[in-house]
Amino acid sequence: MVAGKKTKTHESINNRLALVMKSGKYTLGYKTVLRSLRNSKGKLIIISSNCPPLRKSEIEYYAMLAKVGVHHFVGNNNDLGTACGKYYRVSCLSIIDPGDSDIIKTLPGDH
Amino acid sequence: MVKFLKPNKAVILLQGRYAGRKAVIVRSFDEGTRDRPHCLVAGIKKYPSKVIRKDSAKKTAKKSRVKAFVKLVNFQHLMPTRYTLDVDLKDVVAVDSLQSKDKKVTAAKETKKRLEERFKTGKNRWFFTKLRF
Repeated sequence: MVAGKKTKTHESINNRLALVMKSGKYTLGYKTVLRSLRNSKGKLIIISSNCPPLRKSEIEYYAMLAKVGVHHFVGNNNDLGTACGKYYRVSCLSIIDPGDSDIIKTLPGDH
Repeated sequence: MVKFLKPNKAVILLQGRYAGRKAVIVRSFDEGTRDRPHCLVAGIKKYPSKVIRKDSAKKTAKKSRVKAFVKLVNFQHLMPTRYTLDVDLKDVVAVDSLQSKDKKVTAAKETKKRLEERFKTGKNRWFFTKLRF
């Protein structure tokens, strides 16, 4: 199931993320994700698959209050860090300004 | 993308002496003083106890008592909830009412009165139940 999804849509998510990293504004990490939700700057939240479930549901609750989409990344925090082009793990990230990418329009059918 | 830390939102305090207590945002300061965004909350220090039908009028009056507090809290130390509490506390609680002890006491007494009458109407029942943890 995971391997099947990994092919087309997964690569496109990675591509879109790379474009956001290059051209847009984002923050990485749980504390800044909550901060971006609180001051309503975040537009899309991406959570890795091995984010601890309490933290995942807390972020989802904040996003529900802020009416912001949440995308559950297929892959753990190591993969999400690599997808962001970083050499460290990223468990959750918040996209503040997508730049040239269309990630905000194409993703939140997902939730 | 919707701002949700607005006045009348019910929140739960996470840190400090009042951790675990429910409160309602009275006023929020988004661009804060100097550095931190924070808000003025009015909360319940001591929840009203459970009132049963068998209680006499004197006992229900005693059990429905609420002890309130007023505090400035950083947003980071709050857990917002989906509930709201529509009680008008803006005229009672202001920033200057935290400057001196007796002003704080009068503000707390007035919020206590407003919260008690709200509890007696039976609305917002979630707000007046203690959070078990």
